[in-house]
Amino acid sequence: MTPKVPPNCGKCGLCLNVCPVYKQMKEEQASPRARMQLIRAHKNQTIASSPYLKEIMSKCLMCGSCTANCPSGIDHYSAFMKMREQMAEDHGEPAAVKSLIYLLARDYRTRWGSTLARTGQKLLPKKIAESYKLGNIALKNMPRLNAVPFRNTCEEIILPDTQKPDRQKPDTPKTDTKWQNIQRQGSDKETGTVAYFTGCATNYIYDDVGLATVGILKRMGYKIIIPKNQTCCSIPLLFHGAKKQAQKNIETNIEALKGLKVDAILVDCSTCGEALKHIYPSFFNKNDPASHHAIAIAQKIGDVLSFIDDHFDRLTFNASPKEKPVVTYHAPCHSKNSFQSHTTIENLIKKLPFVIYKKTCDTEECCGGGGTFFYEFPKVSKEMTDKKINNAKAIHATQWLTDCPVCRMNLSGNLKKEDNLIIKHPLSLIYSALKPL
Amino acid sequence: MLDENIKNQLLTIINPERYLDQPEALACYAYDAFVEESLPDAVIFPKTTNEVSGILKIASQFKVPVTARGAGTSVCGAPIPVKHGIIVCFSKMDTILDVNTRDRYIIVQPGVVNADIQKALAPFGFFYPPDPGSMNTATIGGNIAQNAGGPRCLKYGVTVDYVLGLEVVLASGKIIRFGSKNVKDVTGYKLTSLFCGSEGTLGIVTEAILKVRPLPETTKTLMVMFDDLDNTARAVTDIIGSGILPAAMELMDQMTLTAIEDAANLGLDKTAQGSLLIELDGVEEACEKEMKQIIEKVKENGATHIQEANSESQRQNIWTARRAAYGIFAKLAPDIMSEDVTVPVSKVPAMIRKIVAIAHKYRLKVGVLAHAGDGNMHPMIPTNKADRDEWHRVKKAFDEIFEAAAQLDGTLSGEHGIGLAKSKYLPLVMNQDTIDFMKIIKKAVDPDNILNPGKFA
Repeated sequence: MTPKVPPNCGKCGLCLNVCPVYKQMKEEQASPRARMQLIRAHKNQTIASSPYLKEIMSKCLMCGSCTANCPSGIDHYSAFMKMREQMAEDHGEPAAVKSLIYLLARDYRTRWGSTLARTGQKLLPKKIAESYKLGNIALKNMPRLNAVPFRNTCEEIILPDTQKPDRQKPDTPKTDTKWQNIQRQGSDKETGTVAYFTGCATNYIYDDVGLATVGILKRMGYKIIIPKNQTCCSIPLLFHGAKKQAQKNIETNIEALKGLKVDAILVDCSTCGEALKHIYPSFFNKNDPASHHAIAIAQKIGDVLSFIDDHFDRLTFNASPKEKPVVTYHAPCHSKNSFQSHTTIENLIKKLPFVIYKKTCDTEECCGGGGTFFYEFPKVSKEMTDKKINNAKAIHATQWLTDCPVCRMNLSGNLKKEDNLIIKHPLSLIYSALKPL
Repeated sequence: MLDENIKNQLLTIINPERYLDQPEALACYAYDAFVEESLPDAVIFPKTTNEVSGILKIASQFKVPVTARGAGTSVCGAPIPVKHGIIVCFSKMDTILDVNTRDRYIIVQPGVVNADIQKALAPFGFFYPPDPGSMNTATIGGNIAQNAGGPRCLKYGVTVDYVLGLEVVLASGKIIRFGSKNVKDVTGYKLTSLFCGSEGTLGIVTEAILKVRPLPETTKTLMVMFDDLDNTARAVTDIIGSGILPAAMELMDQMTLTAIEDAANLGLDKTAQGSLLIELDGVEEACEKEMKQIIEKVKENGATHIQEANSESQRQNIWTARRAAYGIFAKLAPDIMSEDVTVPVSKVPAMIRKIVAIAHKYRLKVGVLAHAGDGNMHPMIPTNKADRDEWHRVKKAFDEIFEAAAQLDGTLSGEHGIGLAKSKYLPLVMNQDTIDFMKIIKKAVDPDNILNPGKFA
């Protein structure tokens, strides 16, 4: 029995208690149910488009928890995305968001922007860096951008590690030579081939994640293809209603990834994964050849941590330290709702022999980052972030692992020195403990 | 929107941040989980009893309707402001004031979510029994207003059985307190019973003292299949009639089982005509003994398959099937209609036969789902409101279902309340003098009819 007509929201309200923004604000208009009602009212012309309506639509983390938990199977996620497009068209976006869209819409612009920003970071007088804030995050706490975009530092095809002992210590590379290790030639133990979609965060901000991904996959015996022409996955654009700009990026990525003879296409960010796996396949008309390619690509998309978990026995680690550090995990919303990889990732961390894993009471709660949410709605965001930080401190963790770059930026940006807590991608932790060949 | 003068007076006692009257915001407080909608003129989020009192003083002076709201999960339209006016939303008045398991009570503000009460009690080995389906979202203020129930209320009773004392703001703005922290208290009228289930028409609850219970030592769960729906219902009557009181006894018919199995692949037998989910809790030995008796009873009634959960994960699997029912039905058609007529347990087989016959007569699909042990039926009819002919038939069918329940000595609502959904059926179960008596009470406490007007009428 499949319904002929899509389901209506029954207004049951079960989405309220899974919505991080409602739980914080405790106001109906901040709930998924209210947004669905307003979208309908706007369609029926009982509610006019207004800046306040736009604010209500934007005050949403796009975490997907409502869609994942709706008993009636309502697709809030797509409905919100469409409405945001309408709102952006009617009322424009704030300057900061507009420039972000401008930069992310073309890879060369992102590159150019990041170079400028990096120079800016260097030149910024210390006093200003300490007193200025982006949302809740002091500029001095924003991450340093990569010196060179990650993808520019590596070849398009990287061969797996050999069994032969290596003269250089691979895990403590000198800055100049770190990629020489990664790109060593001559494999005698090739297990398979994977493609790696790096995402913008790894490319421009957190190259440690790229370095770790490549290092671990090579060690597992995989040949890695990093298609040069990949670009921003488009999620930030779609969330801000820039559908046209998004389409260009989506087409570019499909072009870069289609027809690759690989076992899997891996992402290190579940938001990119969400785009590639769930958004691309339904973006085009069914008859469009792009749709056909997108579906084929989506079938191969996976997150690199789950992939590592599947082949965990291929990794050997250094002897564990006497005093193992206590680590905990923050499950990003898209790992939880779109990718459903969070339990696998948490179990993988538990398996690591060189750390003690402790769970917080709110591992699966949103951190309040949410793309640009932390910047647009700093007050609500800050209350959510502080709760998370206090709960992580309460279990005396010293390392806090998370597999989303925005969560990482948001949480580390709000930590104080005395909190004695470092945020890391789980990949970096795993990579740093690999036993040298 | 409220008159400027009234608004200004309200803003002298309420922080403007907690006062909403933009049309976009008002639209979000026009509904609950029922089909109707009506816009308020303003929404206020009080944080203290004094603020609530202040709001009501102003409202009664200007005769502005006031409707209390929690999380808006009522399924009968109770918090829909049909006469407009002010919505007093309690979601931000949500502090747990005292947890005292030695004296077996908890004191909460009305905006505390039911599930958060459970979370606060669990570390002490206690729980609060009423467990409405919306317990993860619904507030205790709403639970009290609707006298909410849930599956385990079969054994433990509904909200009214757990309200020891209340603080209530009257229409005049006066603050009254009654009941106490004592389990035994026969001092004066039992006003907790009057206000519990009054749907915000007599006063507005601003604080509640609730009775709590120790968590049971053991829970045993059983899933039983039958090849006949009538036998399934008779097994319910037999078990309850023999003196055993399970914590929960949930009945599902073939249509419900099939829909769940098609959607969720839990390994349910789709050929079964009826099933019972039975849960016992309490002392290990007693549960074991009762479980044996129950197994005998279901066998006598022709059970075709009996499965006892051997582990917590098996137990969760069984409950997953039951909990998924509403959601899966909601996906069968654009809209779903469900009510909660209730009959004495010995009439459960007759009531189920009636429901099936009525649905057949109006050419509608029906899933029969029931908290069967206490006779609380949840017939679910998937429909499409846009199909006017079908929608008309659905309404007719429910009219007849209510009539059938009344004829079987049943009642209109077991746990959802009356609200807008069922007020027209009141004469089926109450004579005019009784309805008039309720009106006399209402008139005495709220002479200007400003508290949630349009309900019970």
